[in-house]
Amino acid sequence: MLRRIWAITQKEFIQTVRDRATLAILLSMPLLQLILFAYAIHMDVKHIPLVVADQSMDQASQSYITDMVQSGYFEVISTVQGQAEVIHAIDSGSARAGLVIPPDFSGQVERASASVLLLVDGSDPFTTQSAYNAANVISQAHTISLVLDNLQRDGSAISAQDLNPLTTHIRILYNPDLKDLWFLIPGMIAMLLQTQTIALTSLAVVREREAGTIEQILVSPIRPVELMLGKTLPNLLIAMVNMLTIVVVGAMGFGVPFRGNFALFLGLALIYVFSGLGLGLLISSVSQNPRQAQQLNMMISLVGLIISGFIFPRYTMPVVLQGIGYIFPLTYFIPIARGIFTKGIGIEFLWGSAAALTIFAGGILFFASRFFRQRLD
Amino acid sequence: MHKRYRRLSALIRKETTQLLRDRRTLMFIIALPLIELFLFAYAVSLTVYHLPTAIVDQSHDSQSRSFIQALVNSQYFDPTVSLQNESQVIQAIDAGQVKAGLVIPPDFSASIERGNANVLILLDGSDSFSVQSGYSAASTIAQSFSLALTTQKVVRMGSASSSLAAAGSLPIVTSTRVLYNPDLKDLWFILPAIVGMIIQTLAVAQAALIVVKEREIGTIEQILATPVRPIELILGKMIPLLVIILLITGIILGLGVFWFGVAFQGSLWLYFWLALVFIGSSLGLGLLISTVARTQKQAQQISMVLMLFSMLLSGIVYPRNAMPLIPQWIGDLLPLTYFIRISRGIITKGVDLAFLWQDALVLAGYCLVVLLVASLSFKKRLD
Repeated sequence: MLRRIWAITQKEFIQTVRDRATLAILLSMPLLQLILFAYAIHMDVKHIPLVVADQSMDQASQSYITDMVQSGYFEVISTVQGQAEVIHAIDSGSARAGLVIPPDFSGQVERASASVLLLVDGSDPFTTQSAYNAANVISQAHTISLVLDNLQRDGSAISAQDLNPLTTHIRILYNPDLKDLWFLIPGMIAMLLQTQTIALTSLAVVREREAGTIEQILVSPIRPVELMLGKTLPNLLIAMVNMLTIVVVGAMGFGVPFRGNFALFLGLALIYVFSGLGLGLLISSVSQNPRQAQQLNMMISLVGLIISGFIFPRYTMPVVLQGIGYIFPLTYFIPIARGIFTKGIGIEFLWGSAAALTIFAGGILFFASRFFRQRLD
Repeated sequence: MHKRYRRLSALIRKETTQLLRDRRTLMFIIALPLIELFLFAYAVSLTVYHLPTAIVDQSHDSQSRSFIQALVNSQYFDPTVSLQNESQVIQAIDAGQVKAGLVIPPDFSASIERGNANVLILLDGSDSFSVQSGYSAASTIAQSFSLALTTQKVVRMGSASSSLAAAGSLPIVTSTRVLYNPDLKDLWFILPAIVGMIIQTLAVAQAALIVVKEREIGTIEQILATPVRPIELILGKMIPLLVIILLITGIILGLGVFWFGVAFQGSLWLYFWLALVFIGSSLGLGLLISTVARTQKQAQQISMVLMLFSMLLSGIVYPRNAMPLIPQWIGDLLPLTYFIRISRGIITKGVDLAFLWQDALVLAGYCLVVLLVASLSFKKRLD
């Protein structure tokens, strides 16, 4: 039996290696993603292009604008006359936010009746949120410092400490500098392992069926289970190589720390990869041609991406969708990957997800091999 | 001319029949975008409210309670457990039980009187969305709580002349207005982008596969033996796809507007024409892939790489102005980059061609060039 599996594995392996172009894409995918994420993606948006309509041009308005710019969140790209021009600039897309400061700002600040209008482009979610939050915090801080200045100028006997009675420390665990790559790498590993194993395996059988070569394999003494194992082993190898690439390049090249136990991670990743292979085989048995298989695995990857917690947090989703999420192995593996990689926690915290993943992988492989055999007969 | 037209219509009939006969594939092609729309509509929230939060209140006095109340009232934090100390909070975050923790030290009211109170907020830094919402919410809430305390104190001290202290009001009020999407509704952000994403993914993948498949099974030889010319073959294959994709676009937009209540601000007619140009460019891109790829597997892998680039670099999720130059240039090569701006411009902002002519022009040029190159290299591959 082992010899027959080995023979199939060799055949698949040669086929994979001979198709240089595909192999090159497969193996460079993780690097490509890593580089893209490392250099191109910033979730926290800085340097938002800002137009300013400063109708006062006095000291108070200047210091307000300086505070906005010094935060690093906004960058003044042009100055215009009034609100209409600000909206025009945002309409045309050259600016993402606009600041309108009315005439006689200093005087109004003295009388404590000044108002500023900040306009934010609401067509781009990340920019909108960064701009909105940053503007609120900065303007509040600016106001507080004005209050303090005024009071001290009035010569009241209150010290600065008295005036700021409460200090709030916010501490972010695991990723204190909010580095984007630290957030993304564990999820990326999980996603890549799933999309690639599903895509590779789902095409494996359908293609043989379409090309007609499946008949030749069936007349040989090879049994379905052996065929299945033989076909999945090379894919398993590619998946694991890709995972190692991300971990190693991420850690060495981009300084993302791997905090937990690597052996535990490897073991659980292996179980996870098997569940992906199982899903791929299932798709392979259900679809009639490569196009269907491709559509199906795109559907699974996409749905998995959205409801597994890879990007969007699961606890904000409706209960029904949270439930559907449990059909995807990605849902179990995301907490494991983040837990071991970023948090550095051990099996005592993760045994629930690990057990669920193992049961899932076993179940899916069982069903996959049954369907697979049915389709072959 | 007449003959040419007859050949073309025969080809279109053949392709349409093939497309319609394969019911299951057709179903997938139509169902996938719908699933995508519904998922985004129901599952995705870009601002995270109700973070599960562990509370440690070692004071249990009026000030600590009102601070907790301020956090809860903001809707950003939901107190799910109350614990004894900081290390228990860290353990709860380790276990994934909560995403945030608040630690209020003993003797809180008195420390506020003395002016040296401290509060600690802990956030789970392994989940980016939660952390970012939580961070900005926590700092805003803490700041305004502290400001309120200051004002109270100043008023109580009866600080002499200061007009602001007497009134207890602030010198500057900043009002923030979000244009186009004032309630920050997530689907209003997402719909224009997913329409573009769906169109491009479908068009590229289908166009790439449809030609490679004929080559792989060998039927391309039979077609070439007929008097059909390459350009006719391409058009014949692309037109049924164009119709289907246009139909899907219509369904998605219809559902978005009538079912999910997304406001369509601009001109539908303009949108239709620009979408048509965009579908043309994406089909052309798919054809280009099909001239490069030798097997269906290769075609699939290449379209997946393209999808990845589109997702990350076109401005669909991550803002382009935050990217370095090289990724921006790569993004410029994708038709989606131009269409996202058009789609957001027309649907969300309600602007017209006066603001969009540059993107529209580039897209039209793109469509022509890519179709030209594709049909030229197609001819070469066939000879």
